Amino acid sequence: MKKNTLYITVISLLMMLSTSCTDWLDEKVYTQLPVASYGKTEAEVNSLIAPIYTGLRTVNNPITIAVNSSDMAITPTRKGGDWWDGGVFKELRLGTWTPITSHIRSFYNSVMQRISQCNQILYLIENSEGISDKEPYICQVRAARAFWYYILCDYFGNVPIVTDFTDLSKPATKTRAEVFNFVVSELNDIKDKIRSDVGPASYGKFTKGAVYTILAKMYLNALEWNPDGGPKWQECIDACDVVMSLPYKLVSNWYDNFKVFNENCPEHILTAINSPSAGMGVLAYTLHYLDYKALGTTRRGNNGLSAMPDYVRQFDLDDKRRGDDLDHKPGSFLIGPMKDLSTGQIIMTAHGRPLIHTIDITMKYGIDADGWGQVEQEDGARCFKWEIEKGVNYMQNDCAIFRLADVYLMKAECLVRLGQNNEEATRLVNEIRKRAFDDPAKLKTSVTLDDIYLERRLELAWESYCRQDMIRFGKFCDPIPGWRGAIPEYRKLFPIPQTAIDANPLLKQNPGY
Amino acid sequence: MKKKSYLSELLKKFCKNFLQKFKAGISLLLIGVITFFSYAYGQDSSHRHINTKFSGDLLSLVTKDARISYHLKYGKQTAEIKNDQQQVITGKVTDSQTGEPMPGVNVVIKGTTVGTTTDVEGNFSISVSDKNATLVFSFIGYTPQEIALAGRTTLNVSLVSETVGLEEIVVVGYGTQQKRTISGAITNITEKNFNVGVNRTAVDMIQGKVAGLVITKSSGDVTAQQSMRLRGTSSLTGSSEPFVVIDGVPGLNLNSVAAQDIESISILKDASAAAIYGSRSASGVILITTKKGKSGQFTTDYNGYIAMDVVSNKPDVLTAEEWRTYCQQNNLSYQTFDKGANTDWFGEIMRTGITQNHDLSFSGGGTNNNYRVSVSYLDQEGVVKDNYQTRLNMRFSVTQKTLKDRLSLTLIGAITQRDYQPSDTRNFVLAYNMVPAYPVKNDDGTWFESTDYDQGNPVHNIELNYDRRKNNISYFNLKSELQIIKNLFLSVNAYFQRQTNDRSRYWNSETERGRNEYGVALRSFNNDNTKLLESTINYTIRTGGHNINLLAGTSFEDNYYQFAQAQNRKFVTNLFGANNLSAGENMQVGDVSSSASMNRLLSYFGRVNYTLNDRYIVSATLRRDGSSKFGENHKWGTFPSISAAWRIGEESFMQGLSNIFDELKLRAGYGLSGNQDGLAPYQSMQLYGASGTYYDNGAWHTAYVVSQNANPNLQWEQTAMANAGIDFSILNARLNGTIEYYNKITSKLLYTYSVPVPPFLYGSMVANVGSMENKGIEFSLTGDIIRSRDIRWTVSLNAAHNKNKITKLSDEEYTTQSIRTGSAWVRGGSANTTHIVEEGKPVGQFFGLECFGLDENGLYKINDMVDGQPGVTVSDYTYIGNAQPKLTYGIDNSFSYKNFELTFFWRGVYGNDVLNFSKMSYATTQWLPGANVLKDALTLGLKQSPFYNSFYIEKGSFLRLENINLAYSFNPRLLGIKSFRVYFTGNNLVLLTKYKGVDPEVPMSGLDPGVEGREYYPKSRTYLFGINVSF
Repeated sequence: MKKNTLYITVISLLMMLSTSCTDWLDEKVYTQLPVASYGKTEAEVNSLIAPIYTGLRTVNNPITIAVNSSDMAITPTRKGGDWWDGGVFKELRLGTWTPITSHIRSFYNSVMQRISQCNQILYLIENSEGISDKEPYICQVRAARAFWYYILCDYFGNVPIVTDFTDLSKPATKTRAEVFNFVVSELNDIKDKIRSDVGPASYGKFTKGAVYTILAKMYLNALEWNPDGGPKWQECIDACDVVMSLPYKLVSNWYDNFKVFNENCPEHILTAINSPSAGMGVLAYTLHYLDYKALGTTRRGNNGLSAMPDYVRQFDLDDKRRGDDLDHKPGSFLIGPMKDLSTGQIIMTAHGRPLIHTIDITMKYGIDADGWGQVEQEDGARCFKWEIEKGVNYMQNDCAIFRLADVYLMKAECLVRLGQNNEEATRLVNEIRKRAFDDPAKLKTSVTLDDIYLERRLELAWESYCRQDMIRFGKFCDPIPGWRGAIPEYRKLFPIPQTAIDANPLLKQNPGY
Repeated sequence: MKKKSYLSELLKKFCKNFLQKFKAGISLLLIGVITFFSYAYGQDSSHRHINTKFSGDLLSLVTKDARISYHLKYGKQTAEIKNDQQQVITGKVTDSQTGEPMPGVNVVIKGTTVGTTTDVEGNFSISVSDKNATLVFSFIGYTPQEIALAGRTTLNVSLVSETVGLEEIVVVGYGTQQKRTISGAITNITEKNFNVGVNRTAVDMIQGKVAGLVITKSSGDVTAQQSMRLRGTSSLTGSSEPFVVIDGVPGLNLNSVAAQDIESISILKDASAAAIYGSRSASGVILITTKKGKSGQFTTDYNGYIAMDVVSNKPDVLTAEEWRTYCQQNNLSYQTFDKGANTDWFGEIMRTGITQNHDLSFSGGGTNNNYRVSVSYLDQEGVVKDNYQTRLNMRFSVTQKTLKDRLSLTLIGAITQRDYQPSDTRNFVLAYNMVPAYPVKNDDGTWFESTDYDQGNPVHNIELNYDRRKNNISYFNLKSELQIIKNLFLSVNAYFQRQTNDRSRYWNSETERGRNEYGVALRSFNNDNTKLLESTINYTIRTGGHNINLLAGTSFEDNYYQFAQAQNRKFVTNLFGANNLSAGENMQVGDVSSSASMNRLLSYFGRVNYTLNDRYIVSATLRRDGSSKFGENHKWGTFPSISAAWRIGEESFMQGLSNIFDELKLRAGYGLSGNQDGLAPYQSMQLYGASGTYYDNGAWHTAYVVSQNANPNLQWEQTAMANAGIDFSILNARLNGTIEYYNKITSKLLYTYSVPVPPFLYGSMVANVGSMENKGIEFSLTGDIIRSRDIRWTVSLNAAHNKNKITKLSDEEYTTQSIRTGSAWVRGGSANTTHIVEEGKPVGQFFGLECFGLDENGLYKINDMVDGQPGVTVSDYTYIGNAQPKLTYGIDNSFSYKNFELTFFWRGVYGNDVLNFSKMSYATTQWLPGANVLKDALTLGLKQSPFYNSFYIEKGSFLRLENINLAYSFNPRLLGIKSFRVYFTGNNLVLLTKYKGVDPEVPMSGLDPGVEGREYYPKSRTYLFGINVSF
């Protein structure tokens, strides 16, 4: 009995004092992967590089700040207060945005995150033992990073340049010129090392075509973004020529670029590839709640984004890219009466008004304290550029970031700016107009800069280039009759969000803000 | 007029429900009643036939004086048994304090149903066959006494009234203590003080009863958990719920114990009491002790009730007539929307809910063992048609002593099966918005639908959609306690738990929920396992006036979670529901998922209690916790505490006051405790996680990303609390009370901070940075106002004041000026926030524009001079209310007159603000005619789009009659059983408040408390009838 007692005491004391259990507290991971254990084979590395492409879907986002701040679109407050949202869209429309405007912040944050991601992936590839030939991977990631810096250079100008994932010190702001030169030098470094194939295997990837197109965009806007470096029109033409020498083709039907199943569209140079689970959001943003009844589709809209009336009116009525007023044929805009397919009757809005999308947008009900007013639910032409798949609740249309038509117009613009070969410029513009009009009389015999500016607006509606083009053509700060007066030049750049400056005091706010 | 029609409607509904739904409940109840009566009558076989004319007897029992009608039969019965050697025992029962004789005291021969009651003079006389029998004396409000005859034939007994006894044993962390030797802040609630009514869990039973423990029923949903805050909010991550320990097992689901199985609940309020639970104790600890069998007392208990729930208040939207009138008067073209119906959409989705509950338990024990087995069944319907819960609890507890009583083994097992469906609160939004002139169904019997913004038929949703959950919890707990030598005990506690949850949801393709995806089916399953091994050694030394108790222990805890989910969309037919996922035609990326995770805890702890001369008390505890969730640089935390008490009332210099004070004790304590609720596993590690898919050459593959910024410095939140208290008991324990003061400082608050990107991968990172302070006073008092022979009236009062303040949000590395939080979403207001988290302000600080009312044009009169400049700008935003109350209190009244008992309990909150969000959303005419609005919209005269400002912040003080209970105990002696009691209870019958919304008691958790949202599930009023039988 005594013995038993002793045993039990000893055992219990041992149990209580056993400290050999330090690994008891190690975390076992089941659903994720510890960083050290993954990225060893080529397939694994591919899956880790993938975020640079899934991240391209972020490119849908600039539509909010790019089109609402240009003269192309508006998100008006609807009667009842929908889309007031604390005045963010009013700020974008009136040119009064600030460092705390939410949509600017979220765009900045997502682009910055892409850059950190690229750095992390580069670090991973450089330290991976499983990859024998690292260069093709590195080129793709550097191209992606250059692409995002091109976006930053365009929208925010003065931003920090970070290339080392392991350096956790807070980075300081670099000037827009430094950012410009960084992008150009990165692109020049990889432009002839990166894969150059055009086809299903390279669809949606950063390739030679994409790199040269980014370069063309940099040169095209060089005077604006890096004025000290002087114009680079010829460099832009050279870059466009390289792209045009690659096997991209203009599709004969303009609308093929925007169809639901537009994979491998030969006109696309860089594409954000969407899937049912990660689709475009523009439809929900623009369509009226009940438009689906007239379109025979499933996806319901939230009745926000509309085109500015004067922008719609720049389209020739015969231009296939406009869209018609009655039958809702494919086009950039959804205009006119919306009839319930089951009854043939015009749909009534919740305010008891017929759902007819007018081109005009009339501010009334100026009852809110801020005086911006509200418009009727049905006012405004809607974005209709991407085909809507019936019977599903998502948009899996791939979204072209760069396409050949844009490159044609860039080259044409530079030719005209340099006063060279107007014939070639006219031919390039007409290649694009041929698809838009059945009537050959609508083709140009010669082109001016204004013609090209207009053509870019018609061809690239909703594709986020409106703001960039307006700035390059010196029109961005001009008054928009009926909406706002002239705005100061500093607004050609968006402000660095206050939250970013709060998190990193080394960042400098853009001048004027 | 309106009220009347509502009442008649209610009655109609009730009758209908009664007939359909009550059948099962009533029949079970009747079976219970019949069984027990037949048992009572059936003591003598010659009376068995009485069963057949049972109902007549029952009637006479209720209508006439029960005693008389019973004596007739019982007298016969006792007369018939006297063929043994009988001996008559006589005696007198008196009150121990007053010496007065006590009539009506039950005297029962132990182990039998034979007994009698004392007469007016307190005298009794009873025949016993065994001269060594034991007599049990019991009377309501007095401690029962058992006295062995040991050959005596006369017995004089004095009964002691049940007061808050100093000898009361209170459950504390890892043990028990006598109440008088406790030096920390501990409140103990036992069965007789539990709330009455429909109690789902332990939390329901103590709501409002404990000063400083604020329990908020933020919804009428019968499946919703209440939120608990002990001594204020002490976390920014939104989780500062007290830590729940059931029978010594930490972290259990409250649903695993039925209310009837709970014996007592201890609330460890201050750090000196709670710190022995280490890194999980910072928000206080709730210890639940379940009932066990008692040696020699074989008891069968049945408790059953049926209850009816009616909605107490619902949103007041326009009727079709009011809607039409308004549209006509304002020339709105409403004809398209006028389908000729007059539908009360809220009425259509609500009902009278019926609840039934049956508890049955058997307990008993011999000299070396005891047992208790119980079963509880709860079937509860919410007042919204899709809301229900049925729960079955089974529990057993067996203790066996062996090795000459040196080893005690206890096995506890419990199984909970719960089927429930939370309400889909989306239907409230639809009910607000649907035009009252829309019908529920078209003339041809098909469902009416609307697809306008926030519209759809909520009845259609409820009838055809479901979201059924099945929750199973089973656990086994083996406790062994070995006496190694005298006063040295070793205990080992091994515990295994498995909890599974199973969910089936189907959204029919015809309904608002399912129409966008053509039907959505979802199934999910999770399986959580907990293993615990705890060993403690306890040693007591008693020499002279010294009393030392030492405790040391270790604890290993292992948790493992598994989860799987699949959904599919687009079904050709709705017939499958959620039962044939593969029939869907549109499975998307992310529709199928599974995951697993684990966390572990390793702890060492110890305690020293020292008492000198029963007068000076010191207690110190220490715990070291290692948690797998902590970052690499902080794997272990240490949590010490110390407290002391001085029973000053025992001192000689207080002797002069001894006729006033029965007890006077001063207490003080200080301790450190931790909170790791806000830490998810793996947050300190750098990990790759799957993130969507990417397209490569015609095929989709899974992409991997680094899923978070790793922070190896993550650790627990730490609370340092000082507590001082006084316990007193005066005038023969007629008045007992406690006053506590505390100061609680929580530091290393976890919060998600913005970090620069790049260099970081993501813009946010969880870090331990901020600090918060809670200071408060708690007060509780219980007094016997009348303590006489037949009448007793006891009043208990508790009140608590807490002041919360955030003292720090930034350090060198992580900075934030203030956090704007809470969504003030109304149509067109998505960028707005309701609350601010800021240094110097409390959690729950409303922040926005100040409004002085509406001007003559129906526009808000906004205070635009906050920043000193005319014109409304962001710098005019200011502090416009505080969601945290200044005072929370409860008033409990308990009356008894002879066998009647009446208790009523008021619970109140004072000095808080509530955001009337539904008024903000729907008290506007601008969505007419195509939607519905609140009646307020027509009277308010608001002419602009509503947005968040102080116009919608209202005073949230309220006083609620939480429960009122009338009970009658039949004389058990006459029935030949231990006890029989019937009771009627009403819950939430009266609500006094100036708040204009549906109910001022709204969700109080998180950083944006105090908002009555548009998805608020209204509370109900409950009427309950039940019986308790014990034999």
